[in-house]
Amino acid sequence: MALDQIITAVVAVIGVPLVLLAYIIVGEQVIERLSDRLQTWIRPYFWALPAVGFATVFMLYPMARTVIFSLRNNDDNAWVGFANYNYFFTFPDTLTALRNSLLWLVFYTFFAVAFGLIAAILLDRVRYEALAKVAIFLPVPISAVAASIIWKFMFEYQPVGATQTGTLNALLGVAHHDPVAWLVDSTTNNAALIFVGIWTAVGFCMVIISASLKAISTEVLEAARIDGANEFQIVWLVVTPLLWPTITVVGTTMLINALKTFDIVYVMTNGAYDTDVIATRMFSQLQSNHIGRAAAVGVVLFIAIVPLMLVNIRRFQQQEEQR
Amino acid sequence: MSDVFTRLASRAIAAGLGTLMLIACSSGGGGGTGGGASSTDVTVWTAWGGAELKAFQDVLKPFKDQTGINVHLTTNRDSTNQLANGIAAGTDLPDIAPGPTDPNLVKSWVSKGALKPMETALGDQFQAYIDNTYPALTTPPSGQQDNPYILVIGGKHYALMVKTQVKGLIWYNKKVFTGTAPTSFDQMLQINPSQYGAKSLFCAGFESGAASGWPASDQIDNIIMRQSGDQVYTNWIQGKQKFTSPEIKLGYQTFLQEVSDQNVYGGRNTALSTNFGKAGDPLFKNPAGCLFLEQATFITSFFQQDFPSLNLKAGTDFDFFAHPSVNSQYDGNINGFYDNFSMYNDTPAARKLLTYLSTKDAQQIWANDGGTLGAIKTLTYTDPVFKRAADIANSAKNLLVTAGDFMPADMQKAFWQSLLNVTKNPGSLDSELAHLDQVQKAAYTTS
Amino acid sequence: MSAEATRPRESAVGKGVSALDNLGYRLQRLPLHLVIIIFCAIWVVPTIGMIINSFRSLQDMGNAGWWTTLFPPHGFTLASYQAVLEIDGVPQSILSSILITIPATVIQLTIATMGAYAFAWMRFPGRNIFFIVIVALMVVPIQMTLIPVLQLFHLLGIQGTIVAVWLAHSGYGLPFEVFLLRNYLGGLPREIFESAEVDGAGHAVRFLRIAVPMTIPAIASLVIFVFLGIWNDLLVALTFLGTSQFRPFTVMIAQLVTSFGGGWQFLTAAAVLQMALPLAVFIFLQRYFVRGITSGSVKG
Repeated sequence: MALDQIITAVVAVIGVPLVLLAYIIVGEQVIERLSDRLQTWIRPYFWALPAVGFATVFMLYPMARTVIFSLRNNDDNAWVGFANYNYFFTFPDTLTALRNSLLWLVFYTFFAVAFGLIAAILLDRVRYEALAKVAIFLPVPISAVAASIIWKFMFEYQPVGATQTGTLNALLGVAHHDPVAWLVDSTTNNAALIFVGIWTAVGFCMVIISASLKAISTEVLEAARIDGANEFQIVWLVVTPLLWPTITVVGTTMLINALKTFDIVYVMTNGAYDTDVIATRMFSQLQSNHIGRAAAVGVVLFIAIVPLMLVNIRRFQQQEEQR
Repeated sequence: MSDVFTRLASRAIAAGLGTLMLIACSSGGGGGTGGGASSTDVTVWTAWGGAELKAFQDVLKPFKDQTGINVHLTTNRDSTNQLANGIAAGTDLPDIAPGPTDPNLVKSWVSKGALKPMETALGDQFQAYIDNTYPALTTPPSGQQDNPYILVIGGKHYALMVKTQVKGLIWYNKKVFTGTAPTSFDQMLQINPSQYGAKSLFCAGFESGAASGWPASDQIDNIIMRQSGDQVYTNWIQGKQKFTSPEIKLGYQTFLQEVSDQNVYGGRNTALSTNFGKAGDPLFKNPAGCLFLEQATFITSFFQQDFPSLNLKAGTDFDFFAHPSVNSQYDGNINGFYDNFSMYNDTPAARKLLTYLSTKDAQQIWANDGGTLGAIKTLTYTDPVFKRAADIANSAKNLLVTAGDFMPADMQKAFWQSLLNVTKNPGSLDSELAHLDQVQKAAYTTS
Repeated sequence: MSAEATRPRESAVGKGVSALDNLGYRLQRLPLHLVIIIFCAIWVVPTIGMIINSFRSLQDMGNAGWWTTLFPPHGFTLASYQAVLEIDGVPQSILSSILITIPATVIQLTIATMGAYAFAWMRFPGRNIFFIVIVALMVVPIQMTLIPVLQLFHLLGIQGTIVAVWLAHSGYGLPFEVFLLRNYLGGLPREIFESAEVDGAGHAVRFLRIAVPMTIPAIASLVIFVFLGIWNDLLVALTFLGTSQFRPFTVMIAQLVTSFGGGWQFLTAAAVLQMALPLAVFIFLQRYFVRGITSGSVKG
C-alpha cells in the first residue's frame, strides 16, 4: 500500500504544477485570439478561477451554512432569529472572553509584529544572521501540545519553601522571591498565555518581513548613507516605510490569529481562572452540540474582520498608485 | 521569445503528462480502504494510549490468534467529534469505537441508527454478559426502561462495558499512616497529620491541561452522593437540581474543607497548580508531605512510575480505605466509571470481537495487566488493592457515574472551573453558584 | 552586506590608526550584538529546556529542573526516544506525513501564486470584493467547515484517501497565501512587465519568466510555513482520513500517552523528533533569503 501512496504523491507533485502550467499556457493561447475587450474581461477570471474555486468550496460555502445555522435552533428544524446572538452577547462569560480576546488582539499582535520587525532588521546587519534566525524561528514548528509541555516546565509551581522545578520560579528563588502560580494567578495568567503566543509567532513575522527586507535594493540604502543619514534614520525613515505593505499584511494576519487563538489557551488552561477567549467559548458550545450558538460566534468574528480588510484594500490601492 | 517558449513548454508538458498517465495507470490506482461488510477485518477506535493500549493489545492477541481477524486499531482522542461529523456527513464510520457520553447524543445516534444494539451483536452470548457484569453498568434503576448514561434506550443496550474504575478512594502510605481508617468524614477531618509525621492532611492536584478541575469534581461528587443521596445526585447531573440549592451548596462547603490552606499540602496554590498525576508524590517523600490522597483506582501506576527506585508495592507500601461515610443513610452509593465500546457497523468481524471482549477470558487479561477493574463481577485479582476495590464495586448499592462527565460540555466546563475558582477564592462561593445556575439554564436546552 | 559600508577602510598606510578605528567600530556594534544575543537566548531557553528534558527520566524531572543536568550527575537516558521509536508503525507514519505534506504544499502554492497574480496585476470588476471575501474567510473556525466538506468528499468518493487531505489543506491554506503573495507581487515594478509586453511576451510568459522568479523569497517563506502547518496538523488528517489505515506521525504520537496523561514524558521526545524536519526545511531554504536576487529591480 505504501508504494501506491508514493506513486500518487509523485504524480501529484509533478502533475499538478504541469497541469496548471498547461492550463495557463494553453488558456492564454486561446484568450489571446479573442478580441481585446473580451480578453481583459475573461482573463482575470480565468487566472483566479482555481484559487477562487477552492476558497468557495472550502470556506465560502461552509461560511454561508454557518450563517444559516446561526439563525436556527440545534435540531435544525426552526428559525430562531437572533436568539443565538442574544445568548452570546448577554451571557456573562462572554464578557470575560471578549475582554481577553481584546488583550490578545492588542498585545499579541503588537509585540509579535514589533519583535519580528526588529529581529529582521537587526539580524540583517550581523554575519551570524542565519544562526540567530534559527534561534528565533525555533518555537514556530512546535505544536501547541509540545508548547504546553515546554511552558509547563517554565511555569511549574512548587509550594513555598520546596525546591522549585520550574525555570521561572527557580529564577525568582534566586532573587529570594516566593514562587508565583503563573497560570492560576489572575494578575499573571493572561500575560503568561499571551507571552507564549508571542513566543511562537515572532519567528513567523520575522521570516515574512525579512523576505521583503531583502528585496529592498542596496542602491536606495547607499544613496541615503551618502546623503549623510545615520543608521537609525535609515531604519526609521527609509526601511520601515518601504516595509509598510508587508507589515500591514503580517499585522492583519496576526490580528486574525489573535481572534482565532484557541490551541494555546485550550491546552494550557481551557479558559480557567478568567483566561477564556472567544474561540474556547465557541468550542465548548460546539462540543455540547449547541451548533447555533457556535455558528453565531463564527459570524461575529467574520464581521469583525471586514473593516480590517478594507484597510488592507486601501493599502493595496496606494501601492498600485505608486508603482 | 514567447513563441519558442510556448512551443517548448507545450511539448514538455505533453511529454510529462503522458509519462505520468502511464505510471498512474500501471500502478492500478491504489487508495481505498478495503474493509466492506467484512468478516476478516475490523476497525477499532480507542482513546487508550501508553500502558492502557498495551493492555488492550494483550487482550486482543488471543482473539487474533484464534480467529485470524485483523484488528486495525487507532488511538483517537477526538472520537466523539469525529463520529458526529461522520454521522452527519454520511461517511464511513469505524466498526467499533467508544460510545458517546452526552445523553442527547446517545438518543440522537440511536434514533439515526448509528449505534447498533448489543442484543444483536452478542447474539446468544448477550444474556451471559448481563448476568456476569456489574448490574449498575447494565441495568437501569428499577421501573425505568432507559438510562442514557449506560446507553440503554428503549430497553436495548447500545454499549458493551469492558472496564471499570472505582473513584473516591482515600490512598495513604502504609509506612506513614499507621492508624485505623476513619469511619466518618468528620472523623477523617479531625485526624492530626503531625501525629504521623506528615505536614498536612490531604494532598490534591487539580491541574490537567484542558480538563483542569476534574479531580476536584470527583471529590465533590463523592461528597454529594453520600451526603444528599442518589436521587439528588442524578437530578443534579440532569440539570434538574439547582446549584444554589441547599444540598449542592452544602456539598461545596464540605469540599472546601478538604482544600483549605490548612488541610491541603502546599496550600491552595499548590492544589491548583499541581498535575493530578503528581499530586500523590508527597505521600512518599521524606518527611511525608501529606497523609491522604483521594483518587481513583488508576492512580496506582502514577505512584509507581514517579518513584521507580522505591519499588512501591500495592498493599505493603500503599493502600486505600473507602471514602468515609458522610450520611450513613447513603453509604451504598459508590462513584465509578467505565470504559465501553459501541458498534457502529454491524459486520461479522465486529460481532465476533465484541463477543470476545464480553468474555471472562478476555477481561481477565485486563485484570492481570493491572491498573484497572474489569466489568465482569467474577474476575480474580492478585493485586490486593484491586481485589478490595472489586469487593467495593460488588457490594455497592448504586454505582453512580461521575457527575461532570455526563453533563453537557459547556456545563461541565463551567462546573469544573467553578471548583477551581472557589478553591482559589472561597469567598466567591455564592456568586459562583449563581453563575452556575445561569449556565445550567442555558446548557440543557436544545436551542 | 550593507553594514560593511560604514566599516573603516583598511589600507597599507596607517594600519595602526585603522586598527584603533576597527576596535572603535566593534565597540560601537557591541550593543547590537548584546541585544541580539539576549533576545535569542530568551527565545531559545524554553525549547532547550524541553530538549534536555527529553533525555531525562520521569523521576528526575519531578525532583529538579532541567538546568541541574548541566552539572554531574547528568542522568541522561534515551528512554523517551526508545518509547517513541518502538511504537508499531512509526517509520511508516513519518513517510505518510511526508506524503501528505509535500504534495499539499505544492498544490496550494501553485494555485495561490496564479490567483495572486490575477488579483495584483489585472483589473476586473468585483476584484476587491472577491479579495476581501477570500481573505476574510481566514477567520472561519475550521470546525464549522468540516461537515460540508466531508459531504462533498463523500460525494466525490475521495473521502478517506490522501487526495482528500491534500485538497482540504489546500482549501484552508489558500486565503493567507493569496493574501501574502498578492502583496508581494503587487510590489514588483511595473516597468519590467511593460517592457516585456512591448517585446511581445504574453501574460503566460510574463508570469512564468518574470513574476515567479522575482517572488522566490516570498514563496520560499510560504513553503516553510505551509509545510510546517501541514506537518503538525492533526485535525484535518483525522477527519479526512477517517477510517483509513494511512496515518501520519501526529496521529501515531497519541499512542504514547494514556487517556489520563500518563507517559507525557515521552511526548518531549516525540516533539523533538517532530520539530526536526520543518526546522531542516527552514535551514535549507535560508539560501533564498539573500539580498541580491531582486536587488536593482525593486524601485525605492
